[in-house]
Amino acid sequence: MRRPPLLIAALLLGGCSGEQSALDPAGVHSGAVLNLFGLFFWVCLIAFALVIGFLVIAMLQARRVDAARSERSEHDAIASRLLRGWIVFIIAGLLVLTLGSYFTDRNLALAAPDTGQSNRVPIRIKLTGQQWWWQVEYEDPNASQQIRTANELHLPVGVPVHIRLESIDVIHSFWVPNLAGKQDMIPGRHNDIELLPTRAGHYRSQCAEFCGLQHAHMALDVVIEPMADWLKWRAQSLQPAKAPATAEEKAGYAYFMEHQCSACHSIAGTPAFGTVGPDLTHFASRPSIGAGTVPNTRGHLEAWIADPQGMKEGNHMPYLAVPPDKLHALGAYLRSLS
Amino acid sequence: MIARRLDEIVCASLLWLFGVAASSAAAAPPLPVAPVSAAPAEDGQWTMPAKNFASTRYSALDQIKASNVKSLGLAFTFSTGVARGQEAAPIIVGDTMYVVTPYPNYLYALDLKNGGQLKWRYAPKPVPAAQGVACCDYVNRGVFYEGGRVFMNTLDGQTIAVDAASGKEIWKARLANINLGESITMAPLVVKGKVLVGVSGGEFGVRGWLAALDAASGKLAWRAYHTGPDKDVLIGKDFKPFYAMDRGRNLGVKSWPPDAWKIGGGTVWGWISYDPALDLIYYGTGNPGPWNPEQRPGDNKWTDGIFARDPDTGAAHWFYHVIPHDLYDHDTINELILLDIPMGGRMRKVMVRPERTGYLYVIDRASGQVLSADPFYEHINAYKGVNLQTGRLVTVADKEPKMGKVVRDICPTAPGAKDWNPSAFSPRTGLIYIPHMNLCMDWQSTQVSYISGTPYIGANVRMKAGPGGYRGELTAWDVMRRRPAFKIKEDLPLFSGALATGGDLVFYGTLDGWFKAIDARTGKLLWRFKTGSGIIGQPVSYRGPDGRQYIAVLSGVGGWAGAIVSANLDPTDPTAAKGFAGAVPDLKQRTAPGGTLYVFALPGR
Amino acid sequence: MCSRSLAGSAVMAMLLLSACQREQRESRGQPLAETAPTFVQLPSVLIAGSQPAPADPRGKLYEGNAYHISEGQRLFEQFNCSGCHAHGGGDIGPPLMDDEWRYGGQSDQIVASIAYGWPNGMPSFADKLTEQQMWQIAAYVRSMSGNVPKDVASSRADELASTPPLTRTPQQPIKGEPGGGLQGVAP
Repeated sequence: MRRPPLLIAALLLGGCSGEQSALDPAGVHSGAVLNLFGLFFWVCLIAFALVIGFLVIAMLQARRVDAARSERSEHDAIASRLLRGWIVFIIAGLLVLTLGSYFTDRNLALAAPDTGQSNRVPIRIKLTGQQWWWQVEYEDPNASQQIRTANELHLPVGVPVHIRLESIDVIHSFWVPNLAGKQDMIPGRHNDIELLPTRAGHYRSQCAEFCGLQHAHMALDVVIEPMADWLKWRAQSLQPAKAPATAEEKAGYAYFMEHQCSACHSIAGTPAFGTVGPDLTHFASRPSIGAGTVPNTRGHLEAWIADPQGMKEGNHMPYLAVPPDKLHALGAYLRSLS
Repeated sequence: MIARRLDEIVCASLLWLFGVAASSAAAAPPLPVAPVSAAPAEDGQWTMPAKNFASTRYSALDQIKASNVKSLGLAFTFSTGVARGQEAAPIIVGDTMYVVTPYPNYLYALDLKNGGQLKWRYAPKPVPAAQGVACCDYVNRGVFYEGGRVFMNTLDGQTIAVDAASGKEIWKARLANINLGESITMAPLVVKGKVLVGVSGGEFGVRGWLAALDAASGKLAWRAYHTGPDKDVLIGKDFKPFYAMDRGRNLGVKSWPPDAWKIGGGTVWGWISYDPALDLIYYGTGNPGPWNPEQRPGDNKWTDGIFARDPDTGAAHWFYHVIPHDLYDHDTINELILLDIPMGGRMRKVMVRPERTGYLYVIDRASGQVLSADPFYEHINAYKGVNLQTGRLVTVADKEPKMGKVVRDICPTAPGAKDWNPSAFSPRTGLIYIPHMNLCMDWQSTQVSYISGTPYIGANVRMKAGPGGYRGELTAWDVMRRRPAFKIKEDLPLFSGALATGGDLVFYGTLDGWFKAIDARTGKLLWRFKTGSGIIGQPVSYRGPDGRQYIAVLSGVGGWAGAIVSANLDPTDPTAAKGFAGAVPDLKQRTAPGGTLYVFALPGR
Repeated sequence: MCSRSLAGSAVMAMLLLSACQREQRESRGQPLAETAPTFVQLPSVLIAGSQPAPADPRGKLYEGNAYHISEGQRLFEQFNCSGCHAHGGGDIGPPLMDDEWRYGGQSDQIVASIAYGWPNGMPSFADKLTEQQMWQIAAYVRSMSGNVPKDVASSRADELASTPPLTRTPQQPIKGEPGGGLQGVAP
């Protein structure tokens, strides 16, 4: 008899943690929001319990219609005291909720949330939403140290991040539930959002403003890692793409540069400078293809190249009719770009 | 006796007074002079488009002057057979005139003893596909004569030496690759036996360069790139830039996002000057690519700046970054007029340039220090000025282009307050005659992919007349007093060069075909002639075999300003011709394509 | 009563059916690239020994479809067509919004121009664009001169306003033959 409730509890609570959960904060901002959520939850739960309690009592009391007058007046006195207490509770409760909401909002709006880590130089990122993928550029005062990548965010633990949000076509919205709330990306203007991750892990971001046919498949892989690992990733990302080594990779490279691929994609260190599609310089180390549509495995990659429309219909990568032998070569080359 | 003595005294005093008056009149501010080594004495010829290495474009011939110019009439004409933008300067050596046309780049030699009869024609036969990578009409800015040879460039990227007497090809060198978007439109400059040629294609993601070929054989002597590592830019131990912002190693890589310098622009399609005394060539580099500045954060060296180099080795001596991180396609390739200016009690060696941004720069040509940058164009709103301490141009945040957003009324427009069309300097008046424009634009940046051989721009631009409604202007700038002496407003943008003569006249042409002569001191219009098509060429003056002074100019509308006519574009779309169609939608009603040489002289014989 | 509702539903049916073709989205290109006939439309009106061939039917298919035209509009910017042709007014390349065509103004002829290029400077995009993308661009180019149905043309471009809206462009049939014959105009 004990197991079902435990099981149910486990299942229910299991929905709280995870890679795309606002109930499992990994950053300061989402932590503040969750605290506020908790405050609201408990205050409202108490209010709810009291209301239900009073309702039950009232329903039970109503049976005793033949109560003596004196008892009734006693009850009336108790009832009016309870009512006054209830009003006080409501006012107090609303005040608590309002203040809680105000202070949380204020904290979120501050440039450097008070965590003791705010004296670190923030990482600046420019995130551009396009239909239906994310262009990510890590800015740097030294222009040649800028990193351009797509569909993934790598951040170190404990360092504030300023993200400038832009869009070049329609309105998108950036939302990493584990780190912060939503912020729209509106063409023609820029918005800003701050993040401060506090815990390492892999999380998922989802576009939160309907932006067209593949809005549902516009996710972003967010990887939070310790500073040492992040610096390694950064150094690796600043390297140009690996030159093709094997014959198959070379064939894939040649096909990439001579055909449609290089018109839309860019790979640092090669003649491909396209900006229509995502940058592929370190494609092999990306967790997913197509902005979170499918995992980045060999099978999925070749399926994507063979028929991108079948996997994400309407996306801007056309059906290419790549010859089968070239397909394997292309896949080999892209898988070498770690 | 006493009366005579009194007469003598009065006479002497009067003479003394006159003497004082005369000397005080002569004590007006001293005039700048072009250095003699770079601007030799007048010989009645015109052997290079800029007239001399100092680029004065001044002819000391004074037979035609204010009093007789109204009788100036046609001596002869010559049809080039090419009805596209004629930007070249006719070159006159002895009794022969050399005229080069836009694509297909015919080179004509005309016999001046015989009324301009054709002596020979040389046809280089450039590849027709080059027409697809010429941003602003298929123009050619002229040829260079030296040592019995005429040196010319072709649109498809060749430099050719032609025998001046016979028209036979001596050597040919291919320097540019049209599949990378490269082409050549500039006039070569021959310095110390080296033919200097730069590449065009800043709108095609070309990596800009300047090359030097041996004039005798055509072999490549050196090539200096304008982006990338120092060894490609020929920056070595001689490199001593004046300002801190230009110092550092491999700035041609560090001031760009990774790899962007490979398609970064910095072309050389304008003018080169040379100082034989300092033994330095001076030239400016073109815009960075793409036009959309958000795709290339960083200062973007070494685009949009002025280089001083050693002509023998190409080694850079100094660089001044005129516009770090260009926002508006403001190429800095305009003419650099070398002058010696009296400053602080001594003659200072400077170069003067009316820049695309609307400022007139006076720069020390030995060190690269900016001495002054005053606006000759009065409606600049995109810049606040030049910080003379740091050398940096100060931009206006509100007028910076943004992706997805239209920024309106940016002045000056993309072709600038003044484009490539060169100004002239008169040593007699001390004025620089600047033919320029008054246009503003709306600009929206867009994301652009680099696909070699196609434009790499990333901006939608629409131009319009600037404040006041007049689209062109000739400003006569007083170099010493640092202000305009007079200004002449024109309806259409001025895209032709200017010529100053010893008869105190200035010649220039309008976009609808009027060739005008004005008084060099007052700006009064003294004479004009309606040629067959709009004028965007460079007028020149020479002494003919009969001793008369002649004025020659090519008439044929085109270039960026006249593309709407020469390429028959549709003005319903104001973004046509990169926005210029919006500035001159009426041009098709005012002129038609043409390509004729006009030579004028006073009646005589 | 019965006849009125019958008439009403008949009208509805017609409207719905007519919208079918306009709104259909073929993401892979129909017919598939491997099986489609390759375009062979010559630009000249004068064909020795024969009459000009009828226009490729794919032209009407793409021109009548709003999705393809809006994709063509996106590709026109992204593949730098606007760098040479502006928004129809022309620049380095000739204007595309008027009635003069050097190399033919039908959809299939425009596709041939994009694929093969021309000696006077039009680059060949054969390896850079898929055939479906070329048809989409051709359909958009046709809309610039008003040669597509008004309810199919793109109603706006989210960029600097240049030409008047394409839905209001008056039709400019290819010079010489109304309804889209073959024509090349000098030079």
